[in-house]
Amino acid sequence: MKTSPGKIHFRRNTQNIPARIPGAVQSATKRFLALRDAAVNEYGAEHWQELRQIGHDLRLHTLEHLDTYLEVLEKNVESAGGQVQWARTAEEARNIVREIAQRRNVRRVVKAKSMATEEIGLNKDLQSAGISVLETDLGEFIVQLAGDSPSHITGPALHLRKEDIAELFHARLGVVAPPDAEQLSRIAAARLRHEFLVADMGISGGNFLVADTGTLVLVTNEGNGRMCATLPPVYVAVVGIEKIIPDWQSLAVMLTLLPRNATGQKMTAYISLIGGVNAASTEDGATEFHLVLLDNGRSEILRHRILRETLLCIRCGACLNICPVYNNVGGHVYGWVYSGPIGAILTPQLLGLRKAGELPFASTLCGACNDICPVKIPITEILLCLRQRALESATGAIGSQQTMLRLGAQATALALASSRLYGWGAQALRVIQLPFLRNGWLPRLPPPLNRWTNSRPLPAFRTDFRKWWRHRNHGSSKTWRTRARSIVNKADQAASALRAWYRRRT
Amino acid sequence: MTIRVQLFNTCLGENFYPGVLRDMVAVLERLGVECRMPEGQTCCGQPFYNSGLQQCARPPARHWLRVFGGTDGYIVAPSASCVGFVRRRYEGLFPEGSPEHTAVQEAAARTYEFTEFLTRVLQVTEVGAWFPHRVTYHTSCHLLREFGLRNEPKQLLRGVGGLELVPLTDEETCCGFGGSFSVIFPEVSKQIMEKKIQAIDNSGAEVVVAAETGCLMNIHGGLHKAQAPVRAMHLIQVLAQEDRGQRQGNGGR
Amino acid sequence: MTHRSLAAGSGASFPGAGARDEILFKVRGALSRRNDQLSPPPAWSVPSCPPECPQPGMERLLREIDNLGGITRQVKTRSELRSALVELAIAQGIQRATLWETRELAELRIGETLQGLGIRLVSPHADKSQLAECDLGVTGVDCALPETGTLLLCSSAVRPLSVSLLPRVHLAILGASVLRRDLAQALAEVRGRRAVCITGPSRTADIEMTLAVGVHGPRVLAVWALGTDFTPG
Repeated sequence: MKTSPGKIHFRRNTQNIPARIPGAVQSATKRFLALRDAAVNEYGAEHWQELRQIGHDLRLHTLEHLDTYLEVLEKNVESAGGQVQWARTAEEARNIVREIAQRRNVRRVVKAKSMATEEIGLNKDLQSAGISVLETDLGEFIVQLAGDSPSHITGPALHLRKEDIAELFHARLGVVAPPDAEQLSRIAAARLRHEFLVADMGISGGNFLVADTGTLVLVTNEGNGRMCATLPPVYVAVVGIEKIIPDWQSLAVMLTLLPRNATGQKMTAYISLIGGVNAASTEDGATEFHLVLLDNGRSEILRHRILRETLLCIRCGACLNICPVYNNVGGHVYGWVYSGPIGAILTPQLLGLRKAGELPFASTLCGACNDICPVKIPITEILLCLRQRALESATGAIGSQQTMLRLGAQATALALASSRLYGWGAQALRVIQLPFLRNGWLPRLPPPLNRWTNSRPLPAFRTDFRKWWRHRNHGSSKTWRTRARSIVNKADQAASALRAWYRRRT
Repeated sequence: MTIRVQLFNTCLGENFYPGVLRDMVAVLERLGVECRMPEGQTCCGQPFYNSGLQQCARPPARHWLRVFGGTDGYIVAPSASCVGFVRRRYEGLFPEGSPEHTAVQEAAARTYEFTEFLTRVLQVTEVGAWFPHRVTYHTSCHLLREFGLRNEPKQLLRGVGGLELVPLTDEETCCGFGGSFSVIFPEVSKQIMEKKIQAIDNSGAEVVVAAETGCLMNIHGGLHKAQAPVRAMHLIQVLAQEDRGQRQGNGGR
Repeated sequence: MTHRSLAAGSGASFPGAGARDEILFKVRGALSRRNDQLSPPPAWSVPSCPPECPQPGMERLLREIDNLGGITRQVKTRSELRSALVELAIAQGIQRATLWETRELAELRIGETLQGLGIRLVSPHADKSQLAECDLGVTGVDCALPETGTLLLCSSAVRPLSVSLLPRVHLAILGASVLRRDLAQALAEVRGRRAVCITGPSRTADIEMTLAVGVHGPRVLAVWALGTDFTPG
C-alpha cells in the first residue's frame, strides 16, 4: 500500500472488485454485528445510549483542550522514564523511528497492528534502510505475506478465505497446512514466537493515551501486542495526537465501549497498560520506550467545529460493519488505510480533497453509521460538509467536469425556483420521453441518465396530478360557458398584469 | 374545526407517482381532513444540498417558502427526506433575522411526513383500509433514523383489513438509492439494490411497501428489471385501498 | 527541545522551532480558545450493573472465565491445592515452571510443591528465552472483575510481566478479596501502574471469523479461587 496514494478513483475501483469480496466481507461483518448486538443487549440498550453520549462528550472535551492534555501527557510519560517525540508529518515520523532504530543498531523489528504506522508507510521505510519488519497480528501477518493490504480495521485479512491462506503458507513458509483456521493460527504463532524473542525493537500503535498518568493502552486479543511491548529491548509506539483521554475514569468508559462495539466482547483478552507515573521499575519490559506523537494533518482537522468530530474515532470498525456501501465493495476500493464511513471522512481530510474528493460522495447518507458509532460521530453531517467543500471550492475534487456541473446545477436551481419554468419543464419532459417510453417505463435513456437505467428502468414521467386536482376541484363538466368564462378571466388577468408592469416601468 | 392540510407534492411524487398523491388525498379526506394544494410548488431543493451544492438549494428553498409560507394548516408530504430537509436544513440556508429565516421557523413547525402526520398528529393507526394480501415492508432510512418512525408504518399496515405482514430480512438496510448516489456510483447502487430485491423475493410477499418515493422508485424499478412477481407500492397506496363492496353497501364515508 | 509554551492565538506563522512547539501552536490556533485554562473533565461515571442487581461474585467470575475457554476451579484446603497442582502438572505436561516471588504465593508454598513434583523452577528474572521454555507461569491477581471475567495483574520487581505472558500455561491464584464491582473501581486502584487486564486465554478470529484460542499469549489460562476459609498455614 502506498504511503501517500495518487488520486483515489473510488468509482473506478468499484468497477474492478473480485467477485468473492462482497460475500467474504458480509459473512464477517454479519458476525461482528450479531456479536455486538448481543453484547449491547446484555449491557442494556438504554444504558448503552447513555454511555455513548458520555463517550462522545469525553472525547470532545479532550479535543477541545488537546494542547493542554498533550503537554500533561508528555510530562507524565517523561517522568515515568519514557521519551516523547513529536512528528508533524508522516515523513518526520518515519525519520524519527528510523533514527531510533539506527541508533540502537536494530536489525529486526516485530510490529503489532497499527493504523497510524500504515498511514505513514513505516514498514517500507524501515525495510529500505535494511531493517526487517515483521507484522505479528495474525491478520496483518497474513496480509504482509500475501503482499496485500488490509481490508478492514479490526479484521485485516477478512477478504481472504482459509484455502487462500493455506496456499499462502505453503508458498511462503514452506508449510503444508490444512485449510483449518485453528491450525493455521498455530502455525503462524509458532513462526512468530521465535521472532519475538530475538527482535531488537517492538513497534505498535496505541488505542488510548491516558494523560494524567502518561499511560499507553493497547487493546488486543492475540498477545502479540504484549510481546512487542515487553520482549524487545526497545519499544516504540506511534500514536495520533487525537488518541488522548484525560484520566483513568475516562479509560473505564472507553474500555466499556470499544470491545463491545467492535467485536461484541465485554473485554478483549489483553488490555496492556504501559508506562505510567506510578509504574514500579521493572526488570522486564523494554528498557527504552519511545512515544511518537503523530500530527500528519490532525491539527488542521481540529479547526472546524463539525469536521473536528472526525477525530473522536476510537477505531472500533463498527461503521464499516453496518455500512451498505462497504458491505458491497470491501475495504480496498477506498484506496488507503482507512475504509468504510470513517475512511470516507478521514482520508479526504488527511490526504486532501484533490486526491480523495470522491470519497465523501461514496455514501447513500443512510445514517446507519451515526447510530452505531460508540462516540456518536455525526458522520453524515461531516460527509455533507466535505461534499460542499469538494464542490463549492476550487479544489478540482471531481475533475474538469466540476465547473460544468456547477453551472448546470445553478441553472436547474433557478428553474426550480420558478413555478412557470417548472411547469414548462415538466410538460417538455413528458414529450421528450415519448420515444423512450415502453409500457409505462423508460428502460433505456441516453447518458448521463443511462447511469440509472443500466440497472433498472425509470418510471414514466407524468404530469397528470395537477390536471386531476384542478379537474376535481373545478367541477367535472366543462360546459362552453365555464370554458368561455375561464378564458375571459385569464385574458383579464393578463391585461392587469401588463398594465401593472407598464406602470412600474414608467 | 376541520383540519386542513396543504399538499406538499414533492418532485418525485408529482412527476413519477401521481397515484400516490391522489391516494394521499383520498385517505386524508376519508379521515375528515380538508386538502388544499398550493399551485406554485416545485421542488424543496434537497438534491442540491445533499450533493454538496448547498448554495443551489437556496433558490428552490426560497420559492418553497414563498409558496407554503402564506398558507394555513399542516403541510404534509409523502416523503420523509423532503420533510426532513425543510425541518432540519432550511433554517441554516438563510441568515438569522432574514424574512426567509422567520418564514422557515413558522412553516417547518407544521410540516409533516404522511405517516408521522397520521400517527402523531391525527393519532390514528386504522384508516378503514382493506387489502387482503401478503405484504412486506422496507424501512426507509430517513423515516427510521431522522424521524424515529420505526413501528408506526407497520402499525398502519397492521391496521389494514385482510393484510398479512411478513418480515423482510435486513429491512432496515438501505435500498441503495441515496439520491444522487445512484447516479454517481451506479455500480454500487445497483449492488445494494439487488440485495434488497433478493431479500424481498425471499420474503414470500406479494407486495413490498415503502413509505418514501425515492426508495419506491428504486425498488419498483429493480423488481421490474428482475421480472420478480412482487408488486411495489407506497404505504399510502395500501392505506387508500378499500373494500369496494363494503364501501358501496355503506354508501361511503 | 524547548518546553516553552506559547501564548494562544499569537497568529503569526511559526518561525523554525521544533516539531513539538509547532504542533502545539497549530493545535492552539485551531481551537482558538480565549485562555489556556483547562476546565476539568466532568465527573463521568460509567453506568455499570444496575443497583438492584446483586453484586456479582466469585461464581460469576469463574463462570465467565470458563465461557471464554479458561479452566477454573475452587480450592478449599491446602491438600486440595496440592492435588490440583499435581493434576495440572500431569494434564499439561509441566516440566519447567516460573512464578511470582510474592508473599502470597510463598505462603501457599507453590514453588516447593512444584519442585516436589520434579518440576524445574526457573527464576522469573531469568532471560526471556529461558522463560519462553517454561511450561507453566504462576501468578497472583491484583483485582478481578466478575462481570467480564477479567483479571488485573500489576507488574513490579517481584511480579515480572513475562510470567503471565511467555509460558504455555498461565495459572492465576486468587482469593475473594480481589473481587471488584467494575472496571472503574479496579482501574482507580491501580491508577498509573504498569498492568495487564487478562480476560480469557489469547484468541483470534482473523481467519474467516473462526475462533482460534491460544495464539501468542499462553494457550491455557487456569484460574483457581481459594475458598474464603482457606488458611495457608
